[in-house]
Amino acid sequence: MSFFFEVLQGFGALAQPEALGFMVLGFIIGTFFGAVPGLTSVLAIALLLPITYSMDVVPALVMCASIFMSGMYAGSITATTINIPGAPSSMMTAIEGYALMKKGQGANALGHAALGSMIGGCVGALLLMGLMPLAAKLSLLIQTPGKFALVLFALVVIIIVQRGEIAKGVVATMLGVMIATIGIDVMQPIPRFNFGTEVLVEGIDMMPIIIGTFAISEVLYQAQAHSASLKLQVNEAAAKIRRRDFLPAWSEIREIGLFTYLKSSVMGYGIGILPGVGGSMAAFVSYADAKRRSRKPEQYGNGSREGIAAAESANNSMCGGAFVPMLMFGIPGDPTTAIVLGVLVINGLQPGPRLLESQTDLIAPMFASLFVSALILIPLTLFIFGPWFVRIVSIPRGLLYACIAVVALVGSYVATFSVFQMGLALVFGILAFFLRKQNYPTVSLLLGFILGPDLEQYLRRSLSLSDGNPLVFLTSPDSLFFLVLTGLFFYFMAVRKPKEPIPA
Amino acid sequence: MAESQSSVAGRLGVPISLLILTTVYVAAAFQIRPQFSEGLVGPRFLPLLAAALMYGALFTIIWKERRQRTGGESGSLIQPAAIVVATAAYIGVFKWLGYSLSTFLFVFALFILFSYQAGRPVRRVIDALAVTAVFYGLFAFVFGIRLPVFPGLPL
Repeated sequence: MSFFFEVLQGFGALAQPEALGFMVLGFIIGTFFGAVPGLTSVLAIALLLPITYSMDVVPALVMCASIFMSGMYAGSITATTINIPGAPSSMMTAIEGYALMKKGQGANALGHAALGSMIGGCVGALLLMGLMPLAAKLSLLIQTPGKFALVLFALVVIIIVQRGEIAKGVVATMLGVMIATIGIDVMQPIPRFNFGTEVLVEGIDMMPIIIGTFAISEVLYQAQAHSASLKLQVNEAAAKIRRRDFLPAWSEIREIGLFTYLKSSVMGYGIGILPGVGGSMAAFVSYADAKRRSRKPEQYGNGSREGIAAAESANNSMCGGAFVPMLMFGIPGDPTTAIVLGVLVINGLQPGPRLLESQTDLIAPMFASLFVSALILIPLTLFIFGPWFVRIVSIPRGLLYACIAVVALVGSYVATFSVFQMGLALVFGILAFFLRKQNYPTVSLLLGFILGPDLEQYLRRSLSLSDGNPLVFLTSPDSLFFLVLTGLFFYFMAVRKPKEPIPA
Repeated sequence: MAESQSSVAGRLGVPISLLILTTVYVAAAFQIRPQFSEGLVGPRFLPLLAAALMYGALFTIIWKERRQRTGGESGSLIQPAAIVVATAAYIGVFKWLGYSLSTFLFVFALFILFSYQAGRPVRRVIDALAVTAVFYGLFAFVFGIRLPVFPGLPL
């Protein structure tokens, strides 16, 4: 019961001017990054990461949560208006939203996307807050062999969701694991892979990897990409949007049905809990499910409001789910929570059930920020800034990417006042650029980097506690459970492949 | 035919580079000297396991890429390479020239590389100054971070 009081106090902490200001600022930044094709909320939080060194932990986490929520929602803006998803999770919304846009109902589609995002975001945040104590209790039951099996499960899921590109998923994930092994060993005080240098003895920090992988590589990628002539398209789209049309008609909402919103939200939350899966999968699975049981399946592809509602509810609800494994086990549900994990670690917070027991006052405002961002800021932002949303994609690329490069590089410097960190960020940026060009999943690299040390530590601890007997992983019920789960996932996702293609 | 061969070479560049990197990594893994024995699963175990999986995946990719005719993205690397050079130079002179001067030059270089305000050099200079000033304000004043300065100058 005390947890719920502390969560309520989190809402009180969020009402403080500083936290409130950072939440609104984060929401605006997230909306901008989510709406501009090529930029994502992951990049926004990655750029924010070094700055969190000089911020208090509560405003930093509050800001991360609002960026996450707004970035997930904002992808639907350009998806609907100019058929370019601002974020990968808005691909399904682009199909239905742009079809409505062509019929002159773009504002209505944006309204439905916002409503779906609002409901999904709220349900996800409520489930996160409501089920967190239970998750904490369950996590206490998991012993060291079980933790190893859980991390192994996470790594296997991260790899097999790269459908059709599993080998590339393995390469990216193992590359992350290999980078993580640089530095002092997890069990013995010996350096590994420092190649005789002193700078590598301490290991590679998460920050240059994040900045390099998401910011520097993006600048390099965009330098090579040819810019499409969006300006005319944008002006046409902007002229068609009127503020009064944003409000969805009650009859349309009834036709979609409360069940669709709730079911998609719960599905999105559940998918969010799976490590490395993310918003794209949540949106796709919920969209496919809504289409399968729809009374008007013929509308799908031609502007189905139900499809928009299902996809947007799910991808925003995923935000809540993704926090569960990150907060309980330090296993990020998606790349954004991977970076939020970095914010926690930078501020000396260790994920785990004790975080909830002893430091709820630091975490609760973040939960509150997720909820308030979804409930209030999504509709409010749409109403206030909606007609101008679409114009933000016409910001000149040169200006945009010069700003990103400066924030990324100076940010890497200010985190540790080390030019070496800036150099590392550039090295990882170049690496990620070539990986991206050849369709290697760079997110897997980051997740491999985060999970690799945990995997090694739990494996070696389990074996040392059981005198080197590997059967401990089969005799320990929690470990057996996760190993069976891993086997089932592998069978259904990699051996017996689903008929419909699932976006990675 | 020549185009197809260059495309295959481009696609194989990444896995072959990673193959070399993995081999260097494996060689370094054998140089790890544990302080005490943990049996099979010691400090070398995960690195060698990760390398073995890496080799398996890389050979699979190379085998697939050799058969595939298209795939991956092509495009000139001149622009990204120029940005890498500009960024490396920026990192090299950042502490020496200080934030303001080095960032102004870096932003100006990026504007040229992204063809921003092409044919309007004055506007380009003004915008580069503005970007430098805005982020100076953000880091130095909003977040109170001490940025490097040019010797003898306040900024």
